[in-house]
Amino acid sequence: MTNTYYEFFCPVKVIAGKAALEHIPYELTGLAAKRPMIVTDKGVRAAGLLDPVIAACEESGLDIVSIYDDVPPDSSTGVVRAIAAIYRNEKCDSIIAVGGGSAIDTGKAVNILVSEGGEDIAKYTGAGVLKRALKPFFVVPTTAGTGSEVTSIAVITDEAKGVKLPFTSSFLLPNAAIIDPRMTLTLPPHVTAATAMDAMTHAIESFTCMAKNPLSDAYATAAVKKVSQSLLQVMDNPKDSLGRLELAQASTMAGIAFSNSMVGLVHSLGHATGAICHLPHGLCMSLYLPYVLEFNLETIREPLGELLLYLEGPEVYAATPASRRAEASISALRILRDALYKRCKLPRTLKETGKVTEDQLDQIAGMAINDGSIMFNPKEVSLKDARAVLQRAWA
Amino acid sequence: MLAKRIQPMTSQARRLYVELMFQVMGRALQAVSEVDREVREEAQALPKGFLFEMMVMPDGAKLIVEHIGEGRFHYHGNSAPRPADVSIKFKHVTHAFLVLSFQEKTSVAFANDRMLVDGDVSYAVRMTRVLNRLESFILPRIIAKRAVKEYPENLHLPEKLISAAQIYLKIATHFVQTARA
Repeated sequence: MTNTYYEFFCPVKVIAGKAALEHIPYELTGLAAKRPMIVTDKGVRAAGLLDPVIAACEESGLDIVSIYDDVPPDSSTGVVRAIAAIYRNEKCDSIIAVGGGSAIDTGKAVNILVSEGGEDIAKYTGAGVLKRALKPFFVVPTTAGTGSEVTSIAVITDEAKGVKLPFTSSFLLPNAAIIDPRMTLTLPPHVTAATAMDAMTHAIESFTCMAKNPLSDAYATAAVKKVSQSLLQVMDNPKDSLGRLELAQASTMAGIAFSNSMVGLVHSLGHATGAICHLPHGLCMSLYLPYVLEFNLETIREPLGELLLYLEGPEVYAATPASRRAEASISALRILRDALYKRCKLPRTLKETGKVTEDQLDQIAGMAINDGSIMFNPKEVSLKDARAVLQRAWA
Repeated sequence: MLAKRIQPMTSQARRLYVELMFQVMGRALQAVSEVDREVREEAQALPKGFLFEMMVMPDGAKLIVEHIGEGRFHYHGNSAPRPADVSIKFKHVTHAFLVLSFQEKTSVAFANDRMLVDGDVSYAVRMTRVLNRLESFILPRIIAKRAVKEYPENLHLPEKLISAAQIYLKIATHFVQTARA
């Protein structure tokens, strides 16, 4: 199943662990940056998560020149333009994105405008348009799931045209990703669960889909192990900073894995469900994961069976006959989802979400089979197949 | 010494093969859209005037087809009347050769980063399904299985033979018309 040819690229410096934020001034100085701008959202600021970042910089004599804290959940070209204007007016020379997927994607898009010039970010949409390095860019994730700190893509909504613009370039990758357990300590339980399952899905899909490769496999299996071992511990003890760090690292590792091997049908269905029913991405991932694995089962039996080692540990792996390991992996995921449902009511079926109606399933299936990630699903997916998976996920 | 002499010939042969296959596939895309209802249904979602291109980077062989409405394609040869809406670009002629000689499935070529998609990815996914359907029709089952991710279970021999014959006839007619013109 492993490809005979593959590509792997991740030049992001990962700065992870206790007091990681305090490395920001040194790292910025190393890139000759003296006037950083923070891009974040109101939730992050209200939760007090900016305070340690600002304090870490000020204690080293580095002033944050400007803070933009109004990034919406679905960032737009207008927001990117506005932030770029502030960056220029304040003569900033670097960007620190603090937040989840939206703040990070916005930071990436702002970096394109302030580095390449102009007002129209839509000009840079597509793959491979950027030809040179951008301004110094750091990312401080405040959720442990998206892996955006190590992906070379950003998605911004063009509000005038009502379409989502994808930007893909290795130059979008930040210079550094700062993984500090303080940043995820206050995440509410349902967000912790959904984002961790997002990371789990990134890892499992990257390990079982068509572009898997030996390097992404190493990151994926490590991520699966970390989420399996730490998620329920953190759910039971949210202030467990070591457990939080494990989840944050798992998210970054899963991000490195999937950005080099892509994802499959879970994401196709999740993207479509998010667009049509406005459900959070992580929730969709958790919801669809076992149903898609069952659909793909005969194509991915071997790698899925291998994952049992990382999901359940060596004893269970050794005690399970090789021919049953793939099914046992799916069972382990179902048990994990049940445990999460018990702790924070993270939905396991579409019906449990209360936000999807059965008559929307056709529309979701129609959109899902045209999603780019479906190309990398190991098994061909027809409209009928997608509809059948949705029906199984319904209730 | 001999290897050095053969190398340019092999390279030239690959280039010619890829050019020829693009010509066949372009005409076949037009033909299959006239023959097969499923392909027309798939193509109908594309905007009228939508231009699809497959090419070898940086400036190698290419095929361009246009959706002219009602799910039908028109083959434009290797020159487009305007910039393509979706372009699938092989990074090297060798990669195109691997796919067009059915040594590597289209889906595997995508997974192996052999080619790039420029334009709306959802349209590229749709066009990939059309190409898969076409290959399932015109190639013997044993070769088609090497070209597509999954050979369609519902494609039975009579339908395949009749459709393939129609498609090949149309390709041949188109070649003759082009030669006469």
